[in-house]
Amino acid sequence: MHLAGQFVRRILQGVVVVLITTFLIFSILRIVPGDPVRLIVGGMAPDNLVEEIAQKMGLRDPIPVQFGRYLSQVVQGDLGNSYQRPKNGMMGQGGDFNANMDVEMAEVSDLILERLPYTLQLAGLALLISLIISFPLGISAGLKPKGFMSKIAFFISSIFVSIPNFWLGIVLALFITIKLGLLPSIGYQNFAYTILPAIVLAVETCPFIIRTISVSFAEISQEYFIKSGKVRGLTRNGVIYRHTLRNASIPLLNLLGIQLSTLLGGVIVVEYIFDYPGLGQLTIYAVLQRDFPLIQGIAMVTSALYVGLNIAVDLITYSIDPRLES
Amino acid sequence: MSKKIKFSRRKFMKFMAKSGLGAAALTSAPMLNHNFLYNSAFAASGKPLIFAAAEALTGNWDPTTHTNLGQLIFESYVFGYLTRCPMKPENPTQLNFELATEATEIDKFTLEFKLRDGVTFHNGKPFGAEDVKATYEYGSQPDRPAQWYPGQVDVEVVDRLTVRIKTEKYGYPAGLFYYLSSFLPILSADDVANPNNAASRPNGTGAFKFVEQDGDNTIMEANENFFMGKPKIPRVQYNFVGDTATRTLGLLSGEYNVTERLEPEQVDTIVANGGFALNQAVSTENKYLWFRCSKPPFNDINMRKAVAHAIDREGLLDILGISGTYTGCHVSPVKFGYTDVEGFPEYNPDKCQEYLAKAGFPKGKGLPELEYITSVGFYPKTKEYGEYITALLNEQGIPVKLSVLELGAWGNKLYDREGGGPGHMIDCGWCTGSPEPDLVIRTHFHSSSKRITGIVDADIDAALDKERNAPSVGEREQILKTEVMPLLVDKMPSVPLFGSVFIHAMANDVKDLYIYPNGMMSAETASIG
Repeated sequence: MHLAGQFVRRILQGVVVVLITTFLIFSILRIVPGDPVRLIVGGMAPDNLVEEIAQKMGLRDPIPVQFGRYLSQVVQGDLGNSYQRPKNGMMGQGGDFNANMDVEMAEVSDLILERLPYTLQLAGLALLISLIISFPLGISAGLKPKGFMSKIAFFISSIFVSIPNFWLGIVLALFITIKLGLLPSIGYQNFAYTILPAIVLAVETCPFIIRTISVSFAEISQEYFIKSGKVRGLTRNGVIYRHTLRNASIPLLNLLGIQLSTLLGGVIVVEYIFDYPGLGQLTIYAVLQRDFPLIQGIAMVTSALYVGLNIAVDLITYSIDPRLES
Repeated sequence: MSKKIKFSRRKFMKFMAKSGLGAAALTSAPMLNHNFLYNSAFAASGKPLIFAAAEALTGNWDPTTHTNLGQLIFESYVFGYLTRCPMKPENPTQLNFELATEATEIDKFTLEFKLRDGVTFHNGKPFGAEDVKATYEYGSQPDRPAQWYPGQVDVEVVDRLTVRIKTEKYGYPAGLFYYLSSFLPILSADDVANPNNAASRPNGTGAFKFVEQDGDNTIMEANENFFMGKPKIPRVQYNFVGDTATRTLGLLSGEYNVTERLEPEQVDTIVANGGFALNQAVSTENKYLWFRCSKPPFNDINMRKAVAHAIDREGLLDILGISGTYTGCHVSPVKFGYTDVEGFPEYNPDKCQEYLAKAGFPKGKGLPELEYITSVGFYPKTKEYGEYITALLNEQGIPVKLSVLELGAWGNKLYDREGGGPGHMIDCGWCTGSPEPDLVIRTHFHSSSKRITGIVDADIDAALDKERNAPSVGEREQILKTEVMPLLVDKMPSVPLFGSVFIHAMANDVKDLYIYPNGMMSAETASIG
């Protein structure tokens, strides 16, 4: 199929995926216990006031009606306003009767755009660190699947995949930041604060990349055109880097698309532990505060990012290997 | 015929390398600090005072709209008070004058304050009698959510710097405002006249003025016109950091100078690390197990007493370690009127069974499943001792289900509602910045307020009115100790579980930062390094 046709088809599929995800999140939020209106007006507010405000906000309408209203706002580029975060500050999480319905609330899109660059920076660096660790390990393991390096790669992958990220985060902060004073890690003041959280995320993703590279390399190494490379007078490095690596790039590219999207999810715990001001931390506080519009906005943006990344990866792989289009 | 896009592997690799570098430059350049390779993680000199707080602010800066402890701490930096009460253990009722210079009891219903001259609000408006009048009359309105006042009040402006607090019209003595004056932040009369201003930005007379809200961080700077002189610390940041482990790591790494609400094991880590000072003080907070007294089964006093006798409070203190201390009545040991009430229900399974039988549920038979709600993430060890209490109650045949909720959901369910609040029992502390006991007992047990319990009891109302209306401080103290506190123990609308010990940890180079027993702070003379 024509590449442009593929592109349009994937975009349409992506829109459907984003819509379904958004609808699911939208519905679940309204089904789980925890009335956001109670949190907006506070635990001390009388029930009739809670109901009055809920009616006014349309939160007692059937879910499809609410979703339709929400979508009509979204198509106009309006993700709504936070229920809990005024423009001038943060909303508490206790049960006080805050009675601040007149206070102007922050726009969800502003809150997301404020935090997104930090998260992209963290996820990007994590991916870079993962590749730096995974490439040498994966390639050497793939070249000799039964060799010593393969065992090392398997051992390291097994350890990495078994380490809980919150534990690793605390241990790294204790040793690298506090004991050795090498890198700062709690909060954010400059780029250096991204490194330790990125290492924690990289440890999570490395095992998958190492495995993909080693399997892919092992398979391609068995191909005739690779085996005959030496006979054709090519150097070992030439065979590896100019032929094997290029042919192994397609599964790796697909995996990277998935891993980068997974990283966007993985940042939630890591950002919370490191007090890193990204989208993950914002998500946790939004969930704790039952901030429906913010949770929905974040879900929509992250699912769109996920879909967008995977479409981009697909298109690139089609370009590299046109046989995949069919 | 359409032209196929030619995209060779070589082109792809080149393109990816270029776009990767470009994207890295675009996304990181604005944030990149090239000094990071040689900057230590322990930068301290010239840093502002960064307080890692356990509670988020409400975003509505009007002090009369909330009971949020985090915001009370913030207000202690920005707002001024007529007096301040350090509540030191050796002299818990000592008052220091701040915006007032003198307090005189004119008669039972009139308390006169002379005010300090030369004080200005952060917006430049001079402070005077009209501001005290506006603040007190506004804050004491029955519709104000914070409800810290014992009742409505009128304020007479005698002259520019003299006010008289008058309570005769409302039937209680003005002397109650003696201690309360240390807890009620003073607003500008202009902001009271326009509450939207009060809600949208804080404007006080305090040592630090609000600059901006940066994400979850609230930034203040030294007030050059502060009446005691510009503070030595140029900037204070109130950073909301929800996770206790993160607060500890941030303190240890030098990112924060002060933090609060630490778990005992984290205190051990900080002590072992060295270089930090601990501020450990019995707070104004008691932790309680509150009963929903307006609905079965806890509308029956016997059920409340049965539960009180089923709880081993010594066991609770073992779980809490340094975070808790014994309390013998319904206010904290540092509050005015505290006493160890004789006959306070201690752990006694026989008595528990006796009261269960009296309530009509021998050995707990016939009782429905009772929900006990608690929170995690703010108070220390709530889940651990919640499980312990649940086990103790189950052991006595009382079927209890523990619901452990995160803070937002717990706050959602905290207060009494029509027909009784959610669940049957709920865990909560109550912490106020004054020795005044009515901020706790009247707020929670008088039928005009009954925040969490929903209790309506004519005997309690009468006792609370009697102590409030006592003709002198001495007589009031006597009534509190001999009548009110024993009556509350007898009626047991909540079980005082223990007194909270507030633990703040701070870097050794933070000097002269005073932390009040409710967590509020004074940093006007503090310094770093």
